[in-house]
Amino acid sequence: MSKEYDVIIVGGGATGAGTARDCAMRGLKTLLLERHDLSAGATGRNHGLLHSGARYAVTDQESAEECIRENMILRKVARHCVEETDGLFITLPEDDLGFQSTFVDACRRAGINAEAIDPKEAIRLEPSVNKNLIGAVKVPDGAVDPFRLTMANVLDARLHGAEVLTYHEVTAVVKEGDRVVGVEVYDVHTKEKKTLRSRLVINAGGIWGHHIAELAGATVNMFPAKGALLIFGHRVNNLVINRCRKPADADILVPGDTICLIGTTSSRLPYDQIDDMKVTADEVDLLLREGEKLAPELAYTRILRAYAGVRPLVAADNDPSGRSISRGIVCLDHETRDGIPGFITITGGKLMTYRLMAEWATDLACKKLGVDKPCQTADIPLPGSDITEEDRYASGSDLGGKAARGRHGSRSVEIKHKDRYDESLVCECEGVSIAEVNYAIDTLDAKNITNLRRRTRLGMGTCQGELCACRAAGLLSKANGCARKSVEDLATFMNERWKGMFPVSWGDTLSEAQFTSWIYEGVCGLDAFDKKEE
Amino acid sequence: MRFDTVIIGGGLSGLVAGIDLVRKGQKCLIVSSGQSALHFFSGSFELCNKENDPMKAIASLDACHPYSKLGAERVEALAARVKPFFAELGLNFKGDASANHWRMTPLGVMKRAWLTLDEYATFESETEMPWKKVSVLNIDGFLDFHTSYIAAALEAKGVEVAVASLSAPQFDKLRESPTEMRSTNISKTIIGEFVDALAEQINGKTDGSDAVLMPAVAGLTGTAEVERLKELVKVPFHFLPTLPPSTPGIRIQMMLKKYFQQQGGVYMLGDSVTEGRFEDGKLKSIKTLNNEDTEFEADNFILATGSFFSKGIVASQNGVAEPVFGLDVDADSDRTNWYQRNMFDAQPYMTFGVATDEEFRAKKDGRPVVNLYVVGSVLSGFNAIKDGCGAGVSILTSLNAADQIMNL
Repeated sequence: MSKEYDVIIVGGGATGAGTARDCAMRGLKTLLLERHDLSAGATGRNHGLLHSGARYAVTDQESAEECIRENMILRKVARHCVEETDGLFITLPEDDLGFQSTFVDACRRAGINAEAIDPKEAIRLEPSVNKNLIGAVKVPDGAVDPFRLTMANVLDARLHGAEVLTYHEVTAVVKEGDRVVGVEVYDVHTKEKKTLRSRLVINAGGIWGHHIAELAGATVNMFPAKGALLIFGHRVNNLVINRCRKPADADILVPGDTICLIGTTSSRLPYDQIDDMKVTADEVDLLLREGEKLAPELAYTRILRAYAGVRPLVAADNDPSGRSISRGIVCLDHETRDGIPGFITITGGKLMTYRLMAEWATDLACKKLGVDKPCQTADIPLPGSDITEEDRYASGSDLGGKAARGRHGSRSVEIKHKDRYDESLVCECEGVSIAEVNYAIDTLDAKNITNLRRRTRLGMGTCQGELCACRAAGLLSKANGCARKSVEDLATFMNERWKGMFPVSWGDTLSEAQFTSWIYEGVCGLDAFDKKEE
Repeated sequence: MRFDTVIIGGGLSGLVAGIDLVRKGQKCLIVSSGQSALHFFSGSFELCNKENDPMKAIASLDACHPYSKLGAERVEALAARVKPFFAELGLNFKGDASANHWRMTPLGVMKRAWLTLDEYATFESETEMPWKKVSVLNIDGFLDFHTSYIAAALEAKGVEVAVASLSAPQFDKLRESPTEMRSTNISKTIIGEFVDALAEQINGKTDGSDAVLMPAVAGLTGTAEVERLKELVKVPFHFLPTLPPSTPGIRIQMMLKKYFQQQGGVYMLGDSVTEGRFEDGKLKSIKTLNNEDTEFEADNFILATGSFFSKGIVASQNGVAEPVFGLDVDADSDRTNWYQRNMFDAQPYMTFGVATDEEFRAKKDGRPVVNLYVVGSVLSGFNAIKDGCGAGVSILTSLNAADQIMNL
């Protein structure tokens, strides 16, 4: 007889990971299930913007207030995941400068420290900004690494006793009468099915939660909204740059680690396409056109890749048409809503509010389970966070060690240099050493190259995994003992990389793509390991 | 300044053409930006690797393929000249155009090849291996070659494999900088007395093996070290290719360049052509970035600037162009037609290149420039990867252009 959990959480994005941490910290016996890898869905496919909330201040005061509160909390509890860059909302000659005061007033009402500054001062703070700007407002925007943030939540959930299974897909929700009592999961690696029982199931599947809810017999009216972004080959800006107008397409440029990102577009997507998103040439052209208005230098900056994420927008229950769609948090108690006890859905929201979403879901779970413990996730730092800015960015001769401190914060002490090879760099663009790769394999559940990318930034830099992918495959092959599997994984990784590259393949990006094909197909014969899509 | 022929591009194509012309007494200039596909040489040249018989495979290529333009007879005649061409430079290759042989890639995949540099492993059969037991060695901590892939491939073919690693203080020194453990840097340590010590170490790890295989990490500047290793190692000793950079490839590039210069050719490295002066359907002269006041005049010109990788052609958001002279290109104008979603499908952009007439003369505004010959991967109409013909097209079209210039 398999053991029973208090709560099974479905979905390994930031929300699911945050919920697992919160549940575990409140003493619940917790299991987190993810069908792919952690952060593989919308969590890893957005700007990585630490919103100040200013963007929503005029149109959605409630979201703005949530954002600034969570913004301040994350700076405290997830220091190693955050870059405190600040942000600008700029007014260009074609924009209405009159909007600026409305904007600043709305920010202040929401508790956001927004300060109109002289355009000259804005150029001094951010030399890449469009010099034609006629107005600028400084706000406490920043950058957040969603992969690191999710991983830190998972690490801490584990430290508090939670179990985490990646590559476990929920294929059915198990019910006794109307009550949900567990889930049936498919282990992607062993290809086995098993039933796992729990007192509660929390659906944190984001847009995929629509399907999980269906499995439980509930309807959550979701509207997939696709947002496309472009990643540039170096960090053009140091402050987040936004347009000071009502939110529109491609008006946020966010710096992050070694790169910067422009986004997003927004378009409705049929539900059956959420696993196969394509960034179109029109979307790329629009992102570039608008991005160049924020920072003209983007016109000459190499584009590394294009990608898209899906926002899990939820329509109000009384509005099946989806006209009154909310970007706010939606926490559904399916016992009172649909007569399905034992089932909770947490969705809507955004990366910025993942912790608050987790708090709401865990509060509801605790209430149902009769547990009376307060939420502490706003106060207790995540693993890795207890590092000072000085230590995090301290210079040193060990390139890999320095980069690792930036990425893993105080957890980087776990990256052991066991022998003299461990300092050698696998990924030169991002300074990822053999030791860091092995740490990710041993401690952070990295099972393939894509997992390694999310854990360490391996392959995220200028060359996009040109050579480090093959090196990493070799290390994985050593760790898992199967050469064939690791080469097949390499073929999958390179092909996924191409899917992000081809929509922006001209100039240097196309040169790089051709070089890659010559090396991996011509010299190496990697095409022999391609698993053709059906 | 006046030359008989000016060659733009100093990689494999440009150098083969240049060497053939200087051997025949021409005064030649090569302008090279420094890029060469030889930097990621696999150890082998391919003529056409779609079938065991390259000439049979060539017969079924599209009409726009450079080989089809040359014609089968001409391809065969040119191909026969290649081995002696390189042998005269001290570069010895195995194989010939009558039948492909097999090579093993860094991932353990078997691929067909036309000519393979002597020190690399080659195979008569894709499945039958010539050994019962082999030792596969790697330099400790060298990540651009993985013994596990080679071992798995050989074991699947019934060969017993002993994997071992080589270590030495010379290699450890490279490790002091975390980015130094690359093939060319390793090869710089395998010199002098260390070659003998390394051979001894190899001998200690090849007990009972029929052969020893190791990554191509020796012989950057010449063949002496490789010859010495072969002599001292007690069992047959073969290289396998690594990920780039390719140590033997860089050596070939350097030897070709040196030979060209010794024969009187002028090689301007790190320079690029900025403009050309055209008159009456002919290219009269060029100017370069580093010699902006000098006009380089010539009777004939050869364009050997490579594909997108070396910027022989460049793509922008809205089209493909030849950047030096604004020559006509064969390319789709709509970029959504350039790609296939699966990386391993035939990518249409790979076939883009400079448009030429039947004599491989570049077209500009629809008309041939009668003294500007186009060679190698800047040519349109072929997919070097899918047709397995990159080096073959480079070498053969270059020899052909040299013949045309000499009126042979």
